[in-house]
Formats: sequence, structure tokens, C-alpha cells
Amino acid sequence: MNINGIHRRNKSTKGQQAASVHEGARFPRLTADLDQTLEQIDMELGHSPDLKIRQVKIGSKQPIQAAAIHLNGLVNTETVNEFVIGSLLGITDDMLQNISATEDLKDYIFNRALELGEAQLLQDWKEVMLAILSGNTVIVIEGFDTAILCETEGGEARSVTEPTTQLVVRGPKDSFVESVATNISLIRRRIKSSKLRLEHLKIGKVTHTHVALMYIKDNADEKLVEEVRKRLSQINVDAILESGYIEELIQDKTFTPFPTINNSERPDVAATNLLEGRVVIIIDGTPFVLILPAVFTLFFQSPSDYAQRFDITILMRLVRYISFIVLILGPSVYIALTTYHYEMIPTTLLINLLAQRENVPFPAFVEALLMEGAFEIIREAGVRMPRAVGQTVSVVGALILGQAVVEAGIITPVMVIVVALTGIASFAVPAYNMAISGRIIRFLFLVLAGMFGFYGITLGLIVLVAHMNSLRSFGVPYLSPIVPLSSHGQKDAILRLPLWALNTKQASTKHGGISEGKKISTGHEQNLSPEIFKKTEGPDQAKKGMQDAE
Amino acid sequence: MQSKRLFFIGSLLPCLMIILSLTGCWDSVELNRRAIVSGVAIDRGPTDEEKYVLSFQVIIADEISGENARGASPVVVYKGSGRTMFEALANASRQTARFLSLGHIRVIIISEKFAREGIKDMMDVFERESETRLSSYIFISKGQPAIESLTTMTAFGKIPANDLVEKLQTTSKQYGYNYRMEVDDIVRGIQLPGGGPIVNGVMVIGGDQQGSNDSLKDIKPKAILRVTDLAAFKEDKLKGWLQGDEAVGTSLIKNEITQIPEVVSIGENEYVSFIVYLSQVHIHAEAKDPEHPIITIYISEQAGLEESPNALDLTDPKVVNNLSELLEQNIKDKLHAAVSAARSLKSDYLGFGEAVERENPRGWKQVKDHWDSIFATCEIKFDVDIVVRHTDMRNNSFQFNNIR
Repeated sequence: MNINGIHRRNKSTKGQQAASVHEGARFPRLTADLDQTLEQIDMELGHSPDLKIRQVKIGSKQPIQAAAIHLNGLVNTETVNEFVIGSLLGITDDMLQNISATEDLKDYIFNRALELGEAQLLQDWKEVMLAILSGNTVIVIEGFDTAILCETEGGEARSVTEPTTQLVVRGPKDSFVESVATNISLIRRRIKSSKLRLEHLKIGKVTHTHVALMYIKDNADEKLVEEVRKRLSQINVDAILESGYIEELIQDKTFTPFPTINNSERPDVAATNLLEGRVVIIIDGTPFVLILPAVFTLFFQSPSDYAQRFDITILMRLVRYISFIVLILGPSVYIALTTYHYEMIPTTLLINLLAQRENVPFPAFVEALLMEGAFEIIREAGVRMPRAVGQTVSVVGALILGQAVVEAGIITPVMVIVVALTGIASFAVPAYNMAISGRIIRFLFLVLAGMFGFYGITLGLIVLVAHMNSLRSFGVPYLSPIVPLSSHGQKDAILRLPLWALNTKQASTKHGGISEGKKISTGHEQNLSPEIFKKTEGPDQAKKGMQDAE
Repeated sequence: MQSKRLFFIGSLLPCLMIILSLTGCWDSVELNRRAIVSGVAIDRGPTDEEKYVLSFQVIIADEISGENARGASPVVVYKGSGRTMFEALANASRQTARFLSLGHIRVIIISEKFAREGIKDMMDVFERESETRLSSYIFISKGQPAIESLTTMTAFGKIPANDLVEKLQTTSKQYGYNYRMEVDDIVRGIQLPGGGPIVNGVMVIGGDQQGSNDSLKDIKPKAILRVTDLAAFKEDKLKGWLQGDEAVGTSLIKNEITQIPEVVSIGENEYVSFIVYLSQVHIHAEAKDPEHPIITIYISEQAGLEESPNALDLTDPKVVNNLSELLEQNIKDKLHAAVSAARSLKSDYLGFGEAVERENPRGWKQVKDHWDSIFATCEIKFDVDIVVRHTDMRNNSFQFNNIR
């Protein structure tokens, strides 16, 4: 799968270059003619009514024509009015006369007149357009082929609120929002270290989505960061609207039910993972950031694990793992027991089951399939229900349907218990994406149990574990630190030792004070993709050779 | 390359689907197609053509916990006979609407008549058959056809077989000399050199209408199923029944006693009762000369005084010591009774031969063949050590104060 993915990305990289060359050929650079420039911008945006062009005259004796251009709604109007246009209009003849010989007007505005925190000189046409579309204001002056970019991004944005999907009892109550800048600030506020690194990228041919890459230097493996950078740079799609787009394009393996990249809408989770040496990718327009590499145990950790006492945390984690097992195997074990291995059921329970099954028309397998299907329907319907009717659905779905189906004699009560238990168990897994994968796997095991009983379940488990062992998340084995076993990693995988035990290595000054106590060690560099690339080049070259021979 | 891979997956999937659907479910049986057997009775048929007469007690789950109960009997007994056990099973299953499922057999009851003839042939099927479990309890129906025990209604629990199991478990935990004997134990007992297994007896007291719900309508049930004496075997043949002191002594030597009441006489018509518990037995054989081994039975127990309606000063350690000596003598008598019973039945079911074999394996080979005669005459010593731990809720009886 990897081979195909990389192949595809390679191909598309070429496409991007071609496109940009073409676009640049039309207007490679700005012209010195103001009117022409403005007309071009207007045309390029298709005479869009929200394009605001404010023309001003600088100086009164020999007025110089200039224009401030921005898109309505994307900018902070106050900043534009007060600082951009205000600065331009505030230039007097006296000032103009005082311009030194080494400066011209644009330098003077850029260096002295503009009362703004961030500005930039732009000459490239593409950059100018992107700046306007990103919500900046561009000043163009008659007679200069250089524009001044004024950072005025603003407009309406959601403020930081409580997280809606990843709740904790105890812990910070803020969550990421759709704006990258705000999200970065939320993380920076938590890690006041100069080693926190931030890199910006624009991904998406059409959307030019702002993507930020964050890691802590020395904590994160340099090779890992390099790999992430590389995979991000190879992405070539039109649109990135959510972090899921990027997740799907950079993950190691497509055809697996398991997520190999974690996501979170909580700044504290992002900060913790940064400190553990992981890389965080923030994408503009979504409050969910990506955290990688993500191994299996990471999906069973909750942010509140570190807010609670460690013994309670260990218990809670065990409950989560058990509920994941119940989620996967619950109905299938019931099927296997009742249709193949009745002798394993205690006699008294067996008599109850017998009496319940007496008048049920379907085999247990069909029963389970019906009930699980019904449960999935209720859940899927409930997700998008408007709040006003949401409760009705849960009452009708859970109570009435559950009771009626038993009374009608279609389903045995025990099956309802089993299905309800697996349903509840799926919510005990902290990571939603892991819970979904459990739900899919459950159906596979259902079929196996229906056909072969425990024999099938055992075979399925063998295949499942083998598959999980084959997975890598950015070179890190998916089941680490269990396979390969690392005693150091056990401290915070299934167990969670007290914090002082986790940070035993804090004293080491090698990394300039940032704890490496929980640092993930890849130690499996051979799994990073440079190797994969080498491997994939092999067959391709061989193929070429064969073609040549023909 | 991609198309190759797709072709591979695309051709593999239908193959898998076909394989799965061809093999799938071949041995799956829905629960409502099963007839769960809770107990089996084995009787000796009149002829060799019908040597084995098997009765299967089948649970009717609907009558026990279903909503559609008709008030009929909670279990049904089906009968089948044949030259072998399996043939008998096959014949019985012709009468049932559902698959006879042997996975939950709790009790196997063998008639006394059959037991005297030998039980080793019927044990093979219980070990070999994949569904039956080795942990089913075995009983010998004392003086009655085995089917009687399966056709008696019981007050506790609707399934008579379960009731019998619970009776055995209760009596083995408290006050009883019966202990749990499973298929496994019997098979090993048959192979005991010079001896045989010990099996619980079961019998129905009372008589008519035991197989009907009417039997339970009175406060005094018309028929009661009870666990009774121990059946002593020589190899696979029933030799005799042990009761009273003999049975208690046998269970003690077998180290299967959890708790047992013990009554010590301290004068004319004056008795003190003890509960004896934590019994630990060790059989040691001094067998340098295997022809004349000396068997010593070491037994250490603890006891609690439960009843002392007299003026004994129980706070005095001497008194308690004297009592424990009396108790030791009592136990010795029981052990003695057990050994003489075994000698009179000419069966070393107590496992003395095993002890000799452990001690002197080479010597054992010489005496193995005539062990019976050695067993009948060899010297047997008892070393009993009993500590009275407590006198329960009181020390001295109130009678002690009155006399003062």
C-alpha cells in the first residue's frame, strides 16, 4: 500500500510544479503601473464585490497615487482603517521632502510610516494574490513594482470554548479553535520554551491551507521531523479542509482499520505529546490537531490520566482496555458459546438461555447481526440529530425498540444485554477513531464466530495481532512498547506510574532541561521511509530494466 | 503493479467467501435444537443384547424458567438399551425431538446390580466422548434400579440431578463422610493396585408417585432422594457398603473430611460433642521388608468443643487435654473400624499398597501379586494428634456455676 501511496504523491508533485509555472507565466511580477495592477487584481478575482480598493493620494504638492487593497470580512477593519490607510494619509509633504537619498517612497512607507507590527515587501504576483486572499492588506504605489503587505488578518472567528468531544472531569477546559494562530498561542502558552519549534506550510492547490508543524527540538527525533516534513511536502491535492485530509495522505498504511495518527482538540493533550517527543500538525480551519507518531496504547490514554492519582489511572486504563476487548469480542463470544460451545456455559445459566431461545425464530448469528445493525442505525441517526429531537431518538431507539423486540420474541433478552454492553463499551474507549475501528472489527469477529466458533475467534485474533504488529506509525512499531518490549516504555503505556517515576531521567542535562522521561524512542529508524523509498525504487528500476530489455 | 495487486485481492476474496460458506457452520447447533442431559442412569438389562439400559434425564428449560411453562414436569427421562453404551445412547436419542447433548451431565448413577458385575467397561465412553465431562459425579444406586433416582422429584431446584449434586456438596462440606467422586477419580481408583474406588451411594426413601409433581405437594415429601453409604470396590466390582464408623474412618484415611462431628463419652450417659476439622492425613509405610510392612497412619486434626452439658471446668487446660485424649481414642477406633472393614472386604481401597510402592518400589514388585494376603495381616499403627482449639461462644457451661 505504501508503495502505491508514495508513487501517487510523487506523480502529483510534478503536476503542482507545472501548474505554478503556468500561472506565473501570465503575471510573473507586478508592474509599475498602478491602474493596470488594480485592474489585473480585479479581473483575477472576477470583479468580486467584496474586493475593497481604497485609492489615496500621498502628499499634496505632487500627489502620488497609491491604493490599499483587501477583501472585506477577512481583515480586521479597524486595523486597516487606522493603521494602513491612516498611515498612508498621515504622510505630509514635509515628510516626503525628508526622504533620504538611499530610500524611495515605498521604503519610506515600509520603514517609517507604516504603524503595523508586520509588513513585507512583495514583488511576486502570486504572493500578492495569496496575501489578499489570506486576509492581508496590500499597498500598491504608482511607479513602484513592489507592493507592501500589511498583516491585517482578522474578521469573525470563534472564540476559545470548552471542548465538545474530548471531555475530562478534571483538567483544562479550553479547546482549539479554527484559527491556526490562536491554536499555536494555546500551545505556546503551555510550553514556554525556546526549543518549541514551529514551521509553516501552505498545502492545497486551491485552498492554500495554512498548516503549522510543531515539535520540541531535541525531544522529537530529528529523523521523525524530517520524515513528517517530507510527507507533508509531497501532498498534492486541491483542498485541505480538515485534519483528516492530511491524516489520510500522510499515514503509513491506508488499508487498516486502526488509526496510526492521533488527533485532539485539547491544547493540553497537544502540549503533553510535544513534550513526549511527538510532532503536532495544526491545520487552519479545524480545531482538531494531528499528533504523531501514535502507537496503539496512546489511544487509550486520556488527558485526565495525569490529573488523577496514578492508582486510579491504572484502574481506569485497565477498564478501557477491557472495554475495547468487550467491544471487539462481546457478541462473537456469545455466538460462539451458544452455538458451538454450550458445554462452557454454567448449567443454571444455560437453562435460562435455553428457555429464552425457545421461541426465537432466528439463529443466534442472525439475531446478533440484526441487533448490532439496529444499534449502528440508532447511533448513526443520533449523531446528526438536531438537539431538540435527539432525546426522542434515544428513548425510542434504546428503550422502546429494545423492549419491544424482546417482547415480540424476535430477539432474546440476553442478546440485548450483550449488544447494549458492547455499545456502552465502545464509548469507554477514549479515542473516537479507535472506538470506530473496534466497531468494524467486531463485525468481522461476528462472522468468524458464526462460522467456526472459538476456533474462528482464535484465528481472527492471531491475524489481528499479526496485522497490528505489521503496522508502523512513522517508523514506530504500532504495538510498542509491548512489542518490541521496552521496560522503559511500560511506565506509561498500560500502567501509569507516579509522575516522579516517569521523570527519573529528568536530571540529565543533555537536553537542556526538558524532560526526556517519557520521550518516545523510535529506535527503529530502519522503518522510516527513506528505507521504504529504497525498497520501492528497487522493483521500479527492475521494471524499467525489463522494459528496456524488451 | 497496482492492477496485479487488485487482481490478486479480487480473486482471493471470492475464493475465501466460497471456502467460508462451504465449511461454515457445519457443527453449529442452536440452543433451541438441543436437549440438555442433566443425569444418566445405567441399569443392567436382562439379556446381553440389552446389557446397558441407559436413562437420560433431559431438562425442559421452558418448564423451569420460561414464560410458557405448562406446569408439566421440569425434566423428562428417556430410555434406551443396547449391547454397548453408545448403542444405548443412539437408541435413546430416537425418542427425543432434539440432539441429546451430554455436555452438562452432572451425575451418573449406576445400579448396585451392575456395580457388583463390574463397571470398568462403561467408564471408557465417559472418558472418550468429547462432550461428557470428567467432573460428573458418580453414584451407586443402593439396592434399587438406578432409574429410580432419576425419576424422583426434589424440593430444592427443579432438576433432580442438580439437587443430588448439591446434596453431596453440602454433606461433604458439613458433617458428612461422603465426598465428591468424579469419573476421573473412579477411573483412577479402578487402577489402584490391590484396591478399588470408593463411590457414593444414593437411594430413594419412600415410594409411590415419586416421579410426579404431586410428590412435593405435601410438607412431608412422599419420596426423598438421599446420599447414603459408601460403596467399596475391589478393582471394578462392588464388594460392600460402608456406614457409620467404618465410613467415617475410610473418609478420614482418604483425607476427604472437611468437618465431622465427634461425640466423646465421659461417663454414663454423659457426652461431650466436638466438631473436628482441618484434618491432615499422611500414610507412611515402613517397607524395608516388603513381606512385612508396617503401615502408620499419621493424622493431625483440630477440634472445637460444641456441646458440654455438664460441670467440667473447661478453663482448666488439664481438663481440655484429657478431653482431647479421649477424642484421639475415638478417632483411633474409627480408623480401626475402617481398616478392619477393608480387610474383611479384601480390598485395599485405602491405598496402603500405594504407600508401600512409594517407599520401596522394587520390593513392591515382588509382593504385588500376593498383596491381598499381606494386606490382611500386616501391622497397622495409628498416630492421632488432636488439638482442641476452642470451646466456641462460652468457656464453662452455666451448669458449672449452679453446682457451685
